Amino acid sequence: MSADARTGLAARIGREYAENWAGAETRSGAERRQRALEALLSRGLPSSRDENWKYANLRCLERARFAAPHVDSSRQISIATLPPAIAGYARYTFADGRLLEPAAHSLDKPSAGLLTTLAAETSAPALEALSAPEEADPDTRFALLNEAFAADGALIRVPASGGAAARIELVFVSVADAQSGASHPRVQVQLEPDACLDLIERHVSSGSGGGFVNSAVQVALGAGATLNHYRVQQLGARALWFDTLLADLAARATYRTHCAAVGAQCARSTSQVRLSGEGAQLGLQVVSVGDHHQVLDGYARVEHAAPQARTQQIFRGIAAGRARVAFNGKVVVRAGAHHSDSSQSLRGLLAGPEAEIDVRPQLEIYTDEVRCSHGATAGKLDESMLFYLLTRGLAPEAAQRLLKWAFLEDVVARIEIAELRRQIEASLAGQMRAADALQELF
Amino acid sequence: MLDVKDLHVSVGGAAVLKGLTLQVPRGEVHAVMGPNGSGKSTLAYVLAGRPGYEITGGGVSYEGRDLLALTPEERARAGVFLGFQYPVEIPGVNNVYLLKAALNAVRKSRGQSEVDAFEFLALVRDKMQLMRMEESFLSRGVNESFSGGEKKRNEILQMLVLEPRLAILDETDSGLDIDALKIVAEGVNSLRTAERSFVLVTHYQRLLEHVIPDRVHVLVRGRIARSGDRTLALELERRGYDWLLGEAA
Repeated sequence: MSADARTGLAARIGREYAENWAGAETRSGAERRQRALEALLSRGLPSSRDENWKYANLRCLERARFAAPHVDSSRQISIATLPPAIAGYARYTFADGRLLEPAAHSLDKPSAGLLTTLAAETSAPALEALSAPEEADPDTRFALLNEAFAADGALIRVPASGGAAARIELVFVSVADAQSGASHPRVQVQLEPDACLDLIERHVSSGSGGGFVNSAVQVALGAGATLNHYRVQQLGARALWFDTLLADLAARATYRTHCAAVGAQCARSTSQVRLSGEGAQLGLQVVSVGDHHQVLDGYARVEHAAPQARTQQIFRGIAAGRARVAFNGKVVVRAGAHHSDSSQSLRGLLAGPEAEIDVRPQLEIYTDEVRCSHGATAGKLDESMLFYLLTRGLAPEAAQRLLKWAFLEDVVARIEIAELRRQIEASLAGQMRAADALQELF
Repeated sequence: MLDVKDLHVSVGGAAVLKGLTLQVPRGEVHAVMGPNGSGKSTLAYVLAGRPGYEITGGGVSYEGRDLLALTPEERARAGVFLGFQYPVEIPGVNNVYLLKAALNAVRKSRGQSEVDAFEFLALVRDKMQLMRMEESFLSRGVNESFSGGEKKRNEILQMLVLEPRLAILDETDSGLDIDALKIVAEGVNSLRTAERSFVLVTHYQRLLEHVIPDRVHVLVRGRIARSGDRTLALELERRGYDWLLGEAA
């Protein structure tokens, strides 16, 4: 994206902001939004010259509108077309970022009281992106864009307890086309000490599947809290998805996040996790399958800021057709974060002569006495595995399909919610154009 | 059944098999022994069709067909089975799925319908009992975190399910304790029929105490240096390979 194009985009963001919030600027959150807009306009959106953005496709933004669509998206979605609900989870559905009317939900959710909406909240906390440290700055600008435009979102607060985990599912449906309006899904999760939450967050499309979605998720875990976070991106084939996840973990907190990305024409997901408290633990698993002309780009920056924190980062990506699938995983161990333990296993599989896979582990260590390991591979299927299957009579195409599946399944199998796992597996198999052939495996 | 004639094979430009000739008639068990680096595993891989081996001379006929002209999967479907010296771990694919996919691939090539799920499980459980394998094994990833002995038993289980006509077992006995060796041998013996042939590639003669071979061949520097009955294996046990190395030179 040229400098002129970026200036043009910034001007358009300002105009659309003014139009979007005309007459509403005295309402709650106005100051927060205004600060975000100013921060964004003074810094600009990232460009492919920014270090962590060289794989993302930012040109696609030129055809997107940033403000909300003019029409009411909630009337255009059919609940029946949404992914099947997961038993035991209270589901909240958002159309283009706005919570659907309560009439569309069951009212006696077991999570009642834990979730409020941004629209209803008078003093929602601002996104951490507003005060992002300079080195992380370009990576959080889409969060500022979300802050400037998000009209609604889910605010989840789980009080301190040692009891059973609360279970919530958020389904964000993108309805409007990118040209007619954006969706800015927003999630803020706050777990008080020792609280537990199992959270499913899905992004799906309704209608033509060509929406612009810019989600921002902020997670704050109190001491000893546990969050299992399942993130599924299965937007339509023409969608644009930009996503920012910001998380902060207090002492002994555990954050396990499982992400699966199969949809969208251009997708970029940025995760910044800070292990602020001693003994905090992070498990970050990402599975990504691209085909046709998709660009699926992921970046995760994990910061160990306290002693004895642990991180396990796993990425598995497959690129077929002319797709480009990238993942850049960075771990920073700060001075004083003694006995940090970090492992990265980043693997990409090239499933076509014109596809592209990029995996990049990065380590920055500013202290002694740490254990940091990383492994990264990008290549084709393992020849010895392939030969083994052929000697058992499997046809080459069946053997290759099975090995691609196994490549992902090794990670997907760790998703403990059986029904969700099956849905994700079905979605991955569909993306591999092998839904029928692999059906027996899930 | 199997007729290897003057076979020459190179790997990465280096000649490994240098005129190997071997006939295995229907229903017989032949042991191929030899010191390290003599070409035993190369022979096993070449018979199964592994890429990366260049045939520079000679040929292999299997049931009257040119074996080397077939792809690895065609060989498998034609009844050739290779038991690997180092079975490959495939995390993410469970054992029961692979067994079923393999059996169905073989059945399909014979014009048979896919195996009924209920009958299949009954068959596998029956064979697992023979190999003293636990039920939980079925849902584990193929060879994933298996001990050396479990991997070898898994190879034999696959063989029992697939019922090949020619089984080539590459050092199936290596790394086994005596109990596991007996179980593996029982598995092999249970499949011995007048129609089925075996090539047992082995370094030691101890497997041959439990699976009695019809013939024993000694492979030295890429050629069969000597053939005989089972007493040849005993002689090798007693004298080692050095005396044959001298002869071959």
